[in-house]
Amino acid sequence: MTAFNYESVTLPIREDLKGAYRDFWNTLAKPGTWWSGAERVAIAQESRNAIICDFCRRRKNALSPYQVVGEHSTGSLLGLPASCLSDAAIDAVHRVVTDQSRITQSYIDGLDAEGITNEKYVELVGVVVTCFSIDEFNRALGLPLEPLPLAQTGKPTGYRPPLLARDVGFVPMVPPEGAVNKESDLWGKVAPNVLRALSLVPDEVRSWIKVASVQYVMGDLLNFAADTGRAIDRAQMELVAGRVSAINECFY
Amino acid sequence: MKISDREVDLALINGMESADGGGVSFGNELMHFSEAIAKRDEESITSSREVLSEVAGAEAVVEAAAVAANFQRMVRIADSIGIPLDQSNVSFTADIRGQLDLGRFHSAKNSGLDT
Repeated sequence: MTAFNYESVTLPIREDLKGAYRDFWNTLAKPGTWWSGAERVAIAQESRNAIICDFCRRRKNALSPYQVVGEHSTGSLLGLPASCLSDAAIDAVHRVVTDQSRITQSYIDGLDAEGITNEKYVELVGVVVTCFSIDEFNRALGLPLEPLPLAQTGKPTGYRPPLLARDVGFVPMVPPEGAVNKESDLWGKVAPNVLRALSLVPDEVRSWIKVASVQYVMGDLLNFAADTGRAIDRAQMELVAGRVSAINECFY
Repeated sequence: MKISDREVDLALINGMESADGGGVSFGNELMHFSEAIAKRDEESITSSREVLSEVAGAEAVVEAAAVAANFQRMVRIADSIGIPLDQSNVSFTADIRGQLDLGRFHSAKNSGLDT
């Protein structure tokens, strides 16, 4: 059966949304840059487990994420097969979903000591956030989540961009002037930090941009008179964006 | 605040209803739907979705869900990687940041602009 066909749904879901979600599902199942296909699908599964994780709920409510000890809801605790991910990777996925605003440089450095290199962390974030945003679309419309794809075999590529800088954020990124050669499609003349954020693993930037381009409309965010080509105008879009960001306590 | 010759009430961003939707068509209904999605409150998602659909139509509901889903991702990219506000945006967003008191957010420290 084709993923994201929304056959029984009466809502007017655009074909380009279905197509972008389907493309991501195909990418999700394949070996990535630093994780295997099975690990990528397991990361996606954990992004779903995090939503119902009691430990995450208690940690989110604690003054410090380090005040609470416990075990994440995963695998057998949820009646699922054991995850192929390490405890550190599972914790990272759950944090990105449920407590992202308290992730720090020292946390990322600690992950590195647990075998989650910066490259692996960036790919993990890319898989989590893209899968999560697709799931959130379904949840917002009251629709069941799409079954995760079957993982494909093969080895990760291990590709690392040759031009990297450690100037902002917790991990190295392609510098603003570094979108050349294999990375030339990542951005144009302007390189906002959010585009650079996952550029240590360029394919993760490409994945989220494909989905973002159908969920949202880029362009002049303050030109409220511009035609978005969608059923809601720019002011309405920015209101939704602003309220979601405020509840997530996102400064950026 | 005036943006593109249009007055909008930024209080909506902080979850306060505004007369006439704060200058945004169906502003209050969109605010409630967005809030419910971000707070992960299933009952509120259902009720606010129905209200929004009644006043703005099913297409608007789908588009609002897509934008909300997009920003559920964007905030997590920004905070998981600890990126600061782009230098080019620091001065022109100062007024909006002040009105919304964004410096109170934990992640403001990634930009050195926490209060």
